[in-house]
Amino acid sequence: MYAYDDFDTQLVAERVAQFRGQVARRISGELSEDEFKPLRLQNGLYLQLHAYMLRVAIPYGTVSSTQMRQLGVIARRFDRGWGHFTTRQNIQFNWIKLEQAPDALAVLAEVGLHANQTSGNCIRNTTSDQFAGVAADEIEDPRVWCEIIRQWSTFHPEFAFLPRKFKIAVTGSPNDRAAVRVHDIGLRMVKNAQDEVGFEVIVGGGMGRTPIIGKTLRKFLPKQHLLSYLEAALRVYNRYGRRDNIYKARIKILVQELGIEAYRREVEEEWAAIKDGDLRLPAEAIAQIAAHFAPPHYPERPTRPAAFLEALRGNIDFARWHARNVAKHKQPGYAIVTISLKSEGQPPGDATAEQMDAVADLAERFSLGEIRVTHEQNLVLPHVAVADLPEVWRGLAAHGLASANIGLISDIIACPGLDYCALANARSIPLAQSIALRFNNWQRAERIGELKIKISGCINACGHHHVGHIGILGVDKAGQEFYQLTLGGSASDDAALGDLLGPSLDTEATVDAVDTLVETYLSLRQPEERFLDTYRRVGLAPFKEKVYAAH
Amino acid sequence: MAKAPKLVSNPQIVTANDLASGDVVYLTKVNSWTRAIEQAAIAPSLEHSAALLAEAEAQARRNIVVAPYAVPVTLETGNPLPVQFRERIRAAGPTAGIGAGPGE
Amino acid sequence: MPLIKNGEVVPEDWGYLSDEAPLPSTGAVFVSLARWQAERDTLRGRNQPIGVVLPNDADPKAIADDLPHLSAIALVFPKYTDGRAYSQARLLRERYGFSGQLRATGNVLRDQLLFMHRSGFDAYEIARPDAAEVFRAALAEMTLFHQPTGDGRATILQQRLARRLDNRSAA
Ligand code: SF4
Repeated sequence: MYAYDDFDTQLVAERVAQFRGQVARRISGELSEDEFKPLRLQNGLYLQLHAYMLRVAIPYGTVSSTQMRQLGVIARRFDRGWGHFTTRQNIQFNWIKLEQAPDALAVLAEVGLHANQTSGNCIRNTTSDQFAGVAADEIEDPRVWCEIIRQWSTFHPEFAFLPRKFKIAVTGSPNDRAAVRVHDIGLRMVKNAQDEVGFEVIVGGGMGRTPIIGKTLRKFLPKQHLLSYLEAALRVYNRYGRRDNIYKARIKILVQELGIEAYRREVEEEWAAIKDGDLRLPAEAIAQIAAHFAPPHYPERPTRPAAFLEALRGNIDFARWHARNVAKHKQPGYAIVTISLKSEGQPPGDATAEQMDAVADLAERFSLGEIRVTHEQNLVLPHVAVADLPEVWRGLAAHGLASANIGLISDIIACPGLDYCALANARSIPLAQSIALRFNNWQRAERIGELKIKISGCINACGHHHVGHIGILGVDKAGQEFYQLTLGGSASDDAALGDLLGPSLDTEATVDAVDTLVETYLSLRQPEERFLDTYRRVGLAPFKEKVYAAH
Repeated sequence: MAKAPKLVSNPQIVTANDLASGDVVYLTKVNSWTRAIEQAAIAPSLEHSAALLAEAEAQARRNIVVAPYAVPVTLETGNPLPVQFRERIRAAGPTAGIGAGPGE
Repeated sequence: MPLIKNGEVVPEDWGYLSDEAPLPSTGAVFVSLARWQAERDTLRGRNQPIGVVLPNDADPKAIADDLPHLSAIALVFPKYTDGRAYSQARLLRERYGFSGQLRATGNVLRDQLLFMHRSGFDAYEIARPDAAEVFRAALAEMTLFHQPTGDGRATILQQRLARRLDNRSAA
């Protein structure tokens, strides 16, 4: 894991002091709200429906036990005892007081955490694959590059006031778990013909009002040029991105309006002028960061321990959880455990301070002190010995964290929606809960298999509805909560945007419609087909017919 | 919430967030701020809410509260109840999950 | 309006010339980009300091060849949230080698001064009486930086590598 050195520590301390000064100047009235708002946003502080919300970065989703406990401290001391893990590997606290925000940031800084650039029109927290470093299918650990990007983008003087926010994601695996095609810039680690590892650079993807799948800007970028290339891409965007209309200010619109070829020409021209300058990464610098992510020492553990096999045979709940939530680790004798934050009745992504402590303790005992946060709003214990799985499972179950539903219909992504968010049209959480309740029979859920439902409370698409197998978007119809459904989206390597099913529905009809969609799929599917596969084969019509026939 | 109906003929109260704490607050008859919606000053219609809003905006300029605006309410139960769903959630707290209800 | 250079309030010795006004025979003046482009030859011949106000949607390349004749360039922040002039500043300094006065005008606020300084500005129109104190305080807020920009400060990476070298030669 990345560990702060004295430079990182001092930088974050200076930033906390700087923000403390800004807050004091706001409260004293020296700064007006208009002047202060972008400053607080650049430190992750929003004014939401009920209160100030603080969004803390979990860079590339990696967090230590110590850090996780400190998030629990924030929840208890500065908030109401819990936090919400978001779709961008951040955690949000919903009730932070402005006057206490600098203290909360100081507490976070003690363990190397911060809220830098988790909002605002700047380069945001770089996200990655939650299985980075342990996935069997990985070319290289993408977190090395996320950390390099994090450092370069932190307080970048040229890019603090971009036309709009800018999100970067990196994946090191051909099986994209970081949704790189729906980011402003997505980086895929690839090998060229000479077997060198570099990046495919994808640009202009995104969701929101104008969802677009990103386009390839460059097929292969040698590693040492990553930062100069990003700087060139950002500079072109900063200079030419639209600033007249907030809905047209993202880079995807610039790329669309210029055309990918013209944008590429601009970037390549800019890059040619800076590629051999100070941003070129010396091998030693890369090695220095990479050393932080060197594979940990894995004590040798049995690959098929007797107690584990016994538990698999004798305990159906454990066996189910194992089948659903445990993934293959690249190290023999080890496994990757995904902890579901979607237990029945729980708002997706919420965790109490007690749960954070419990996960921190389990990670310390069984996962080399390391935890991951996923963009699907779950947690991961990345290094669990197979022999320890039964005990880890019991430990999770004791805290309501052993739901065996990863990838199933109740593993729903949902944004905070109208219960918290000032921009929302409709609530997301109660809808997610109703759907989870409707499908709470696990045999049925297993029969349905992989099905990703994603819910956003408004067009900003924080719940990634465009790329849900079933996407649900909250809309406001004459002051009432309605929902629009889309089918066939995907955030994976086969990225696609969902197709609109038809007119929006009220809450109850939405839950019924999901039920109907599922039944329709079950009646049409061929062996081994997931919902998405069936949808791609048969198209929208049979689903549409069934859902609206009743209305 | 996008373009809520103006509800000009409804009684109105004025809300904002407290600058330092962020709490949802309502303007009272004596130009102070309360977290209890029952204690909000009530204007009989949007037209009559101008004075309340002017006071609230003056207090925003003095950095006491942030972003004040008028909220249409009904008085059927005796106490002001926001007409819009969003404002009901804002007044009563989240409707679901760990944080449901007004908190503290 | 106070003008800050080298951390101090200095007397304003530049004027902004409107496009219609006749060129004064003495004194340093800024002209618009349009006027510069229309009257370049006359203006170049003037043996008094001349500067150009570059709108923030203009390409610095447009004046790249003129830089030896320009004593100052003013870049504009119409709103402090419009960050285009940061890129222009870096290009002027780092790409085109401009070494004259690079001035920030418009909505120039305390909390952006450090970003401006790092991007290559060296003169700031700050609309407040305590401009000098504010400038010094803003620049002192951070002492460590990740990005190599034209301001020449050693980046954290450069400091890390240098330290490793030191350690190695000490060992
Ligand atoms: S999608 Fe809309 S409602 Fe949901 S969190 Fe984002 S902005 Fe708020």
